[in-house]
Amino acid sequence: MNEISADSFDINEYLRLELFPHFLCPGCGHGMAMRAMLWAVAELGIDKDNLAIVSGIGCSGRMGAYVDANTFHVTHGRPLAFATGLKLARPDLTVIVITGDGDSLAIGGNHLIHACRRNLDITCLMLNNEIYGMTGGQVSPTTTLTRFTTTTPYGNYEPAFDACRLAEAAGASFVGREATLQVPTLKNLIREGIEHKGFSFLEVISDCTEIYGRKNALGNSPEMVLSQKSKMRPESYGGLMSNKVDQPFRPNPFQTGVLARNERQEYGELCRRHIAAKQQAE
Amino acid sequence: MNDKSKIEKPVNVLIVGVGGQGVIMVSKVLALLCQTHGFEVKQSEVHGMAKRGGGVFSHIRFGPKVWSPTIPKGKADILLALEWAEAMRWLDHLKPGGTFIADTQRIVPPFACRNRKRGAERNYSRETPAEIIDKVKNGYALDAEGMAMTLGNRRVANTILLGVLSTALDFSPESWQAVIEKFVPPHTIETNAQAFQEGRSWTANAVKPLPVVSEAPSAESIDITTELTINTVWCKGCDICVKMCPERCLALNEDQEAVLIHPDKCTGCRICEWLCPDYAIKLHKRPNSQTEGTGAGV
Repeated sequence: MNEISADSFDINEYLRLELFPHFLCPGCGHGMAMRAMLWAVAELGIDKDNLAIVSGIGCSGRMGAYVDANTFHVTHGRPLAFATGLKLARPDLTVIVITGDGDSLAIGGNHLIHACRRNLDITCLMLNNEIYGMTGGQVSPTTTLTRFTTTTPYGNYEPAFDACRLAEAAGASFVGREATLQVPTLKNLIREGIEHKGFSFLEVISDCTEIYGRKNALGNSPEMVLSQKSKMRPESYGGLMSNKVDQPFRPNPFQTGVLARNERQEYGELCRRHIAAKQQAE
Repeated sequence: MNDKSKIEKPVNVLIVGVGGQGVIMVSKVLALLCQTHGFEVKQSEVHGMAKRGGGVFSHIRFGPKVWSPTIPKGKADILLALEWAEAMRWLDHLKPGGTFIADTQRIVPPFACRNRKRGAERNYSRETPAEIIDKVKNGYALDAEGMAMTLGNRRVANTILLGVLSTALDFSPESWQAVIEKFVPPHTIETNAQAFQEGRSWTANAVKPLPVVSEAPSAESIDITTELTINTVWCKGCDICVKMCPERCLALNEDQEAVLIHPDKCTGCRICEWLCPDYAIKLHKRPNSQTEGTGAGV
């Protein structure tokens, strides 16, 4: 692993410059998340030819198009399914899945829990902006209660998913959450996720300033980015001050940092060993 | 001093340092030692925002009979400082002719770095150990932290200073060691014993006064040139960099594009670069000031 300092990291080396400026709205948090991801990749010294990025549909899915690496832009909700096949066929590749909250939790919810269950060595980056931004601002499985979207003109009344707890319960061996406000911290988390052998599920709290922010009067881009600070609760606050204790005082329960890490059998190895045993038997 | 009758007036020892260095531990060692020798001991301390690197001090008075727990200004027989700036802060408590023992290590507080301009001088104590030792006559200034590092554990710096302190007081080294053992973690007893001996032998060998100058980082060493380039074609005018810049160097022009308006104020913290969702900002840092031009533009 070669250490890349903030000085020597040049994001332009990892971008398809002919597609820039990108299509994301002004102030969209996805750009910062992508910077953190590429920074982590650069720090780990992963060659662009050995990096595969699989992305689904949505604003987050567009990220795949902008990275100068092996990229898939696949059907809605199925990036994890495609990535599973890719990683099983080419275990030498570093596979990163970029997906959104609607992509991975709504239409792709089933793929997510089974990917967690199998524990294949891929890194899933879920960019959570609490809304379907690209299609016009419909309610998503992570939209906070009482928030307005185009499909909830009287406020959202559906309870939201806690994606990290879902992934942990489904068996992901590395679960983390971070906000886009802290790019270096997010980079470290992503790096840890890529280094982890097994399924890493990372939730990135991102902002949709143009649709979600505007509909809910959450302020302009800088105000939304800054408000992430009050949404986050670093890992070190855990333990004694668990979510239950101070929920009445701090209603926003986003705990950040590494939330779960357990060593489990990696699926790819298991699969290959099984195939080898069967081939020998024949 | 083992003989009680020798001391009539209380002996005043003032121990100062920065939170986390072990000022309270050092004062506990001294207090217990005096107690085991049959003296009356009074100790008074302030450890306010100690965990945040704030100042900590501890007054220790021992003698046949002690009334007040605090040492008046200019009455301390011994001033033991675990940090250089704290030593300067409390120097006026030392009585004329008193013993001055200080570690020359520097813990620069955030308050000393309030001028965030590149290459700005830190507002830290400018007195050199040589100047002070020259003035106090009976003084020791040593790089206890550096000595502790060579022993393999920088946390034993305070034990080295206790070794120096032990030469100024009249208790036997064995009784010092016995008390130190009670306060340090069991697995560090050996290192602490070494450190204590190190402090004692340093004092014995030292050509007094022995000034040890620990270099503060000079303005040149942190002088860097930062050059911020803004790709206005990619900039979408989201305003994040303008609002998040701690120095307020950026602004939006009439075309809603970010421009650098105060290139001289930029400290190179990279917040704008990291938070730019459009990758329009790139910061280049150069270690020396070879290029003069800093400015906006593609």
